[in-house]
Amino acid sequence: MTMRDRLGQANWQLILAAPVAAGILHICATLAAPYITADSAYSRLAPGLPLNKMRMLSEIAPGSEPLPFLSPDARYALCRFDTSAGPVSVTATLPPDPGWMLAVMTPQGDNIYASASTPGRPTPITLALVPSEEHFLGVTPEARGIARDTDPPVALAARRGIVVIRAPDRGFSYQRDTEASLNAARCSASHF
Amino acid sequence: MLSHSALTPLHVALHKVQKRIAIVFSILGDWAAFIGAVLILGLGTSWYMIDVGTPLTTIRQGPWIGWTSGGRADADPYTRAHFTRLGSLQLSGENLITYVAHTDSDGRRLHSSCDYSVEGREPGTSWWSITVFNDRGELIANPAQRYAFTSQTIAIRPDGTYVVTLARDARPGNWLPTGGAGRLALTLTTIDSTTPVLVKSGAAQKPLPMIRRIQCR
Repeated sequence: MTMRDRLGQANWQLILAAPVAAGILHICATLAAPYITADSAYSRLAPGLPLNKMRMLSEIAPGSEPLPFLSPDARYALCRFDTSAGPVSVTATLPPDPGWMLAVMTPQGDNIYASASTPGRPTPITLALVPSEEHFLGVTPEARGIARDTDPPVALAARRGIVVIRAPDRGFSYQRDTEASLNAARCSASHF
Repeated sequence: MLSHSALTPLHVALHKVQKRIAIVFSILGDWAAFIGAVLILGLGTSWYMIDVGTPLTTIRQGPWIGWTSGGRADADPYTRAHFTRLGSLQLSGENLITYVAHTDSDGRRLHSSCDYSVEGREPGTSWWSITVFNDRGELIANPAQRYAFTSQTIAIRPDGTYVVTLARDARPGNWLPTGGAGRLALTLTTIDSTTPVLVKSGAAQKPLPMIRRIQCR
């Protein structure tokens, strides 16, 4: 049988349909991958964290790493939040040292908010985590005729997630300072 | 001996059955090939783009690979799937990026049976760290309790360069023990609060450290 005969007998409908079907499978597999993985960072961290409370993780050491590829180059304070019962407020001040970060991570791993420390001055951060964009945050001080002496909180719409504060580990000499700054961070359900 | 006329109906029936089986096998063969091709192409390309990455989703410099949209809310589906599968904590790629190296600068797999020197230059403005893991992302236990160096803990030479030595046995200077971990992975994390860590395409990238193999046992 010649090549021409073989090509003539080939099922061209299936041959042409194969890349199209492969493309559809590629898209479906890629989009489904985050949802069929049981071991995402959120699913590993969430069971060990109290709800709406900031908790500082102990120093990362071999055998006790909460996540893969989590370096002991930093200390972490985490707050698992759930805004279904009401807004959650987060306050923290990042010291003026390089390497400090605060991020709000969704269960899918997206950072819906991230802020890094600024050299030379502390970076105060106040967040109001709300279940949706339209959530009522209460009457503002301005509306009540009171001058506001602090920056208004940054409102973020998120149902669930984890607030992560990352502090660079500068060694034993700075350990107390680092832990004090992490312990000063607050995460709590707020009421209006 | 049977006559020709007596054999014909049996032969005809057998021939018909044979032809039908051949047609069924031909159709099944076509469909088997179709399904095989769809699975290999569809799942294979998806796995490659999620696990290995492409220039669309990663930035590569020598052995270092960084996922440019890691942790960002506008991350592409491949990056999102990559980090979800990996299970690692991914903070925003705007100010922070983590590069991972599984090979040395010559493309050879990093292994604890070899010694390596990681040579770079202090970038000055940003905070950075180098950490050694086994290839499952676990820290390598060692009596010195040394797993990482940061821009604040590393010893820098007077000319602004630094060398980190990865070795099983103690070495002078910035030594990271690799024990008997087998395959290794190095991570380089940089945080820059003043400028984005990723520059637009075409602009000069900040040079990342070289990983040289010194010797193997």
